[in-house]
Amino acid sequence: MTDVTADRSAVAPEPETVEEGPGISTAGRTRGQARRANQLIAWAFLAPFMLAFFLFVIWPLAHGIYLSMTDQSLTGAGGSFIGLENYAEALSDPVVWTSIRNTVWFTVISTIPLVLFALVMALLVNTGLPGQWLWRLSFFMPFLLASTVISQIWMWIFNPEIGVANEILTTFGFEPIAWLQTEHIDLISITIATVWWTVGFNFLLYLAALQNIPEHQYEAAAVDGAGRWRQLFSITLPQLGPVTVVVLVLQALASLKLFDQAYQMMNGGSSDTSRPIVQYIFEAGFVGYRFGYASAISYIFFALIVIVGIFQMTVLSRRKGN
Amino acid sequence: MDRMQISRRQVLAGALGAASAMALAGCTAGGGTREAATVQFWHLLSGGDGITMQGLIDTINDAHQDFFIRPTVLAWGAPYYTKLAMAGAGGRAPELAVMHASRVPGYVPGGLLDPWDLNRLAELGVDESTFSEPIWEASQVDGELYSVALDAHPFIALYNTEICEEAGVLDSDGRLLRPDNPDDFLQMCREIAGVTGNHGLSYGFLADGTQMWRLFYGLYCQHGEQMSFSQTDGVDFNEDTFVAVLEFMSQLADGEIAARQGTIDFAIAEFAAQESGIHFTGVWELPTMREAGVPLGATMIPPIFGQEAVYADSHSFVLPHQMDPDDELRDYAYTFVAELLSNSLDWAGAGHIPAYQPIIEDPDYAELSPQAEYAEAADHIVYDPVAWFTGSGSNFVQDFGNIVGNTVVSGSGFDEAAENFRRHIEDILERPNPADPEETQI
Repeated sequence: MTDVTADRSAVAPEPETVEEGPGISTAGRTRGQARRANQLIAWAFLAPFMLAFFLFVIWPLAHGIYLSMTDQSLTGAGGSFIGLENYAEALSDPVVWTSIRNTVWFTVISTIPLVLFALVMALLVNTGLPGQWLWRLSFFMPFLLASTVISQIWMWIFNPEIGVANEILTTFGFEPIAWLQTEHIDLISITIATVWWTVGFNFLLYLAALQNIPEHQYEAAAVDGAGRWRQLFSITLPQLGPVTVVVLVLQALASLKLFDQAYQMMNGGSSDTSRPIVQYIFEAGFVGYRFGYASAISYIFFALIVIVGIFQMTVLSRRKGN
Repeated sequence: MDRMQISRRQVLAGALGAASAMALAGCTAGGGTREAATVQFWHLLSGGDGITMQGLIDTINDAHQDFFIRPTVLAWGAPYYTKLAMAGAGGRAPELAVMHASRVPGYVPGGLLDPWDLNRLAELGVDESTFSEPIWEASQVDGELYSVALDAHPFIALYNTEICEEAGVLDSDGRLLRPDNPDDFLQMCREIAGVTGNHGLSYGFLADGTQMWRLFYGLYCQHGEQMSFSQTDGVDFNEDTFVAVLEFMSQLADGEIAARQGTIDFAIAEFAAQESGIHFTGVWELPTMREAGVPLGATMIPPIFGQEAVYADSHSFVLPHQMDPDDELRDYAYTFVAELLSNSLDWAGAGHIPAYQPIIEDPDYAELSPQAEYAEAADHIVYDPVAWFTGSGSNFVQDFGNIVGNTVVSGSGFDEAAENFRRHIEDILERPNPADPEETQI
């Protein structure tokens, strides 16, 4: 989120460069006046966005902080100020911690395969396999499906009695597994479904980056006697660095938001090893009616995301420095 | 470039025109065709139930020129109760809504529901005498009537008459035997399993707190006991009974009697495919099984622990709280409910037991098979323990599933589960009802 807003605000100074350009008359006005006028115009253009930004980001953010310090109920009852009680309760609520742990764990075990598989798939497709369009389509297709569809498909695949997954396991002589109903395995099952679902997007980013690497670099390397593997490690992978950073950032943020597929695949009920924090916020606020408490948990989660964000920014700026 | 821009504008203008035309058409279709007062009615009945309900609404709408019931169908479970609570909290709720009777006690303290006027109902032929005792009692909160039950939908045993006959577990009337102790019941299921070569019983429970609770609490109450959760008196339940029921449930899921890891979908598919003889399920699966061509019988779950007790809930009509109710619309809502109750024979077709006694006593109802076989269940119904946090689609049933789920699968840890359950309920009771944090109404 922070990246996007930073980009947009970077647009603001642009009118200044237009001001200097030909075709815009500054005759009869001092430089300062023109600048002010242009700034006004810039603000006017920004106003609709600022309004929406204030209404849908700043105001809910501020109001949420207030709510988190009340015992506000979804039913309209409550609303009296109770200070930091909700935070104290949340910090001592074991479910908050287990669900944060689940979310972080999911982020780790989903981000790694989502980057690696995407990279391998893109490299394979980029080798010039015949039927390029078919590969691209097949890898990207699941990403186009709604989370509800994905959940339904995978709930049947993972069905412990008649699912395909167990059919394969038993064919090879393994014991069947209750994929979505066994603690600790449930989150891994959700991860498998998520990887299948979203890997196509990262694949596409990688493929685009691969196709941007100039062909002549490979030719030059070939002339110097570099084989395919040497080319991969010395030309391809280093040049994929920037896109890998983008993929990692996007993926980590997307994984932290885990909710829909987990909620749907677990039929709305979750075990202690699969409930993501967003679902616990939903359960506390919308099923348990405790808006104040749910707000407090979401700010604790928000703090976590800020920490991840700062960490990422530090890593990124260090890379840029290098 | 220019040409492209023009064509794009044209497309946009066209789309805008079409959209506004459609919007206008929508207006005339909704309001222009008849001059009737619109009564908003929310319910959560989808699938076969939804179609039956729509049929009943259409019949009543056709019979009345002065009002028009406009139903809004929302998804079953937690999302429905979220929306209904928010509508009630805003004071601009629909005139009428359907709720599970078990959720009503959680709604009343927050002032989300308005009570029914007994006199007006009596004028329309609806009063205490037209409901079975447990159903009428469950409709009351603090001595006022907050819900009018349409049905009771118990958790029962469907059985495949052909398979069960082959297994020799039908009585001389062709009905499933009703063993009155756990061993006989388990033995009966094994005999059925011998016939199917698969499982004797289909019961889906895996990671499904709702399904586990439905069977568990019915069996718990068969001991002649009920749980009670109260903010003043604390948690009251018998841990020995709790453990005995869990132990029995884990004996069911042994891979022979029922699947070790049966999910609700699997159990439905298995019984529909005639690969088992008995199906523990809600009556609402009846139409599905009939369509699947299963030769069907149905009975209350046998009194395995001695006494008859049937876990059930009711679809009940409630008046969501309105800041400024329109008397005329409210009155139409009363009329609609009364007429729907007296037409609820069709509702029984979907498997539910009509709550309205005159329908049960109707000779046409006695001819409904297999519905009439379990009509008696209405007298043995047990609902969820009364508390603000219990009921269909609540966090409570999910939490219950998380606490006991592993014990049913693994066959161990029952005592610990009972202890965890007690502690969990105590934790909830320590907190105020979020719908009424100041406890103004308790």
